[in-house]
Amino acid sequence: MSDTLVKPTSPPAGAPPARRRNRLAIAGGAVLLLVLVLLPVLIGNEVAYLKVAQYILIGAVGGIGLTLLVGQAGQLSLAHPFFLLVGAVSYAVISGEAEAGLVGLGLPPVVGLVGAVLISGLFGLAFAPVAGRLRGIYLGVASLSLVFLGLWLGQSLESLTGGTSSGRTPPNFELLGFVFANSQPAPTILGIAIQKQQRLWYLFLVLAVVAYLLARGAVRSRIGRAWRAVRDNEAAATAMGVNVTRVKAGAFVVSSAYAGLAGVMTALWLDLVKPDENEFTGNYSLTVAIAFLAIVIIGGLGSVPGAVFGAIVVYGLQQFFLLGANEFGWFADAQFGGLTAVVLSAFVYGAAVVLVVLFEPGGAAAIGRRLLARRTNTTDSRTDTAVPAASGGRERSPERNDDDPRA
Amino acid sequence: MLVLAACGSTADQQTAEAGAGGVKTDKGVTDTTITLGVMGDNTGVFKNLGAGLNAGNQLWADDVNAAGGICGRQIELEIVDHGYKADTAKTLYPQLEPKVLGMVQLLGSPVLAALKQNLIDDQVLAAPASWSSEVLNNPSIMMIGTTYDLEIVNGLAYLQQQGLLADGDTIGHIYIDGEYGGNGLKGSQYYAEQHGLTVREAKITSTDNDLTGIVTGLRGEGIKVLVLTTTPGQSASALAANQALGLNVPVLGNNPTFDPALLDSPAAGALGNLYVAASSPPFSSKTPKAVEVATEYKQKYPSAPINAGVHTGYVEGMVWQAVLEKACESGDLSRAGVATALTTLTSVKTDDLVTELDYSSPGSPPTRGVYIAKVDPAAEGGLTEVAPLFTAPEAAGYKAPYQQ
Repeated sequence: MSDTLVKPTSPPAGAPPARRRNRLAIAGGAVLLLVLVLLPVLIGNEVAYLKVAQYILIGAVGGIGLTLLVGQAGQLSLAHPFFLLVGAVSYAVISGEAEAGLVGLGLPPVVGLVGAVLISGLFGLAFAPVAGRLRGIYLGVASLSLVFLGLWLGQSLESLTGGTSSGRTPPNFELLGFVFANSQPAPTILGIAIQKQQRLWYLFLVLAVVAYLLARGAVRSRIGRAWRAVRDNEAAATAMGVNVTRVKAGAFVVSSAYAGLAGVMTALWLDLVKPDENEFTGNYSLTVAIAFLAIVIIGGLGSVPGAVFGAIVVYGLQQFFLLGANEFGWFADAQFGGLTAVVLSAFVYGAAVVLVVLFEPGGAAAIGRRLLARRTNTTDSRTDTAVPAASGGRERSPERNDDDPRA
Repeated sequence: MLVLAACGSTADQQTAEAGAGGVKTDKGVTDTTITLGVMGDNTGVFKNLGAGLNAGNQLWADDVNAAGGICGRQIELEIVDHGYKADTAKTLYPQLEPKVLGMVQLLGSPVLAALKQNLIDDQVLAAPASWSSEVLNNPSIMMIGTTYDLEIVNGLAYLQQQGLLADGDTIGHIYIDGEYGGNGLKGSQYYAEQHGLTVREAKITSTDNDLTGIVTGLRGEGIKVLVLTTTPGQSASALAANQALGLNVPVLGNNPTFDPALLDSPAAGALGNLYVAASSPPFSSKTPKAVEVATEYKQKYPSAPINAGVHTGYVEGMVWQAVLEKACESGDLSRAGVATALTTLTSVKTDDLVTELDYSSPGSPPTRGVYIAKVDPAAEGGLTEVAPLFTAPEAAGYKAPYQQ
C-alpha cells in the first residue's frame, strides 16, 4: 500500500551486482557472528573484557529500541531509563522468591524475561496518550518526567524493588534446566570453561541478535514504512490510510519493550536490582537517558546497525579504557585529579557527539553507507541518499537513516 | 546459610600450594609479595575522600614494607578507580580479582551492593569504605570501625551527657534515602526508644541542595537537637538555616556529613554547631598514632587535600595486618585461611585509631566506640576532638540488623 510512497527506485544495474553484494553481506555477517560466538574463547581468562562485551550488548538492545522510536517514528524520548527499571524490577518480581518483605512470584526465569518485556511494553502503552499528543522537544520533556516517576516509585515500592539501600538479587537465568551460573564441572569450548559469564554472554548474544533482526524486519516492512510516513507528514500518512494515533502508540510500545529487555539484561549483568538513590547517578538515571540518546545520535538516527555501533562507543569505550589503564598502566600518575581513563572516555564520547552533529548528521550509519557505496558501486548516484522524501512531505533531512532498503 | 556457602567455594576447588616458610597460599600471594586490591574513587563524587583513603592505604603499606613486610612478604597494592559507579566496578572486578588476596579498601555502597555476590563466590575479604550495618550479612565484609547507626547512638548519648538533650525531647533527623541515611536513622530511632524522645524524620535524596524548608518545618516541631545523615553540601545548608532561622540547636552528624572544604563555603560561619561522630579520629587528633600518620602524610603528599580519609585508609591497612599476621601464624595465607583467621580475632588493637575490634561474631559491628569532634576552623582538617574514644552504655545494648 504505502510501498509506492517510500520505496526507492530499484538498483539500476539489475540483478547480478545486487546478488553479489547480498552474498558478500551474508558472508560478512556469518564471519562476524562466528567471531562473536567464539568471543569467550578469544578472550580466554580475561573475563573483564567479556563483561564489557556483555555491557555493549545491553547498550545495543536499548539503543535499537530508542533509534526505532526517535529515528524511525520521530518521537523524542528521554524515558528509556524508566522502562529499563520497569524491566529489571518486573523480572525480579516475577521470577524472584518471596523473602523478607519482598514480593516474588517464583515463576521460571523465562517467564520473568518475557513478562518483563511485556510489562514494559504495557507501561509504554500507558504513556502513549501523552506521546500521541506531543511532538519534538515537548515530548522529550514530558517523557523526562517518567525518569523522576521511576526514582520515586523505586524508593517507595520497597517490597518490589528492594529499596535503595540494598536492592534485591535477581534470580539466575535458567532455560530448560540449564542454569546461567557457575557450575562444577562446567562444559568447555576449545578448552575454555563455559561458566556464568560465558553463559551470560551467549544469552545476551541471542537476545541481541533476535532484537536486531526483529528491528531490521520492522524497519523494512509495512510497520517501518508507517512509522516513517507518520514521522515525515502526519496528514499525508492519514491520507494514505495510516492510523496515526495507533502507529505512534505502537512505536512507543515497541521501544519500551526493547528498553525493558535491556533492563532485564542490566539486572542479570549487575546481579542486582537496585533503584537509584538520586536522579543523576545510577543505572536508571538521567545520565543513562543521555547515554542512550548519544548512542542513537552517534550511530545515526533511525539506523539499527548504527545503534549497535553507538553502543560500542558509548557503553564500551569507557570500560575498555579503564581496563586498559589498569592493565598497561596508562594514567598511572593521576592520583589527585588530572587525566584519567574516566575523564578521557568522557571527552571521546562528547567529541564524537559534537563531530557527528557538525559534520555528519547521519552518524556512523551514513559514513558506513558511503564507504560501502564507494567500494561496491562507484556509479551509484544515490551514495548518501537514505530514502527519497515522501512527496509533499518534508525536505530530505541528512540526519535520517531509514536503514537503506537496498540492502 | 551465607557463611556455609562462602566456605564451600573457591578454597575447595583450588588446591592451595605450600609456599615459602611452609605457608599455604592461593591467589594474590607469592613467596615474596602479598597483593591487596583497592577499589577507590579518584574521579567520582567522593574523589577528595577517596584520594585521602588511597594515600592512607599506601602509607600503611610503605610503613609495613619498611619494617620488613608481613610473613616475610612485601605488601603490594593494586589500585583501581571506579568513580563511584557500580557498572564500572562490575567490569573492573574480574580483572582485579585474580591478582589479589583481598581488598584493603572497597569504596561506596552502590559498588558494595553490586559486588556482594562476587565477593562471596570468590571468597574475597574486603574492608569497605562505607559503614552501614546493613552489609554485615555478607561474611566477606570486614567492617573497620563502627557503623552509622552506632555513630548516632553514641553522638546523642554524648549530647545528653553534655546537658544539651533531655529525656522526652523532640529531635529532628534529616537523612538521605538509601543505605547510608537509612542506617543512620536506625540509630536515632533506637536512642529515642531508650530515652522517650520523639524523632521527626525528613527523608531527602542526595541531590537536594536547599534544606531551609525542612529546617523551618522542624523548628515548628520544637526540636532540641538536629541529626544529619547527609552529604557535606546538605549539612552546610541545614547548618546555615539552623543559624539564620534563629533555631541554633546543636547538630549531630555522621562521619561523612563534614568535609573541610565547607570552611571555605558561604556557610562557614554557621558550622560551629556541628558535632561529628566518627569511628576514626579527626585529622587534628592528639592521639599519638594519629599525629604520626598525619605528619607522614603531609611529608609525602605536601599539596594534597587534608581530610579524615587518611587515617581511615591507614587503619584499614592495620586491621588487614592483624588478619594477615594471624593467618601467617596458622600457616595459611589462602583466601580461606584469611577468612578463618578473621573470625578468630577478638581484640584487634590499632593504637587507638579506632576502638578495639572484635570479629568473632559475624553480623555484629566489630566495635561500638566513636570519636566526637566539633567544627573548628583553626584545626587542621577543620575538626577538633571534644571527646576521646567514647562508647556510650546505650551503644552496648543496640542490636544491629544482622546481629545474632
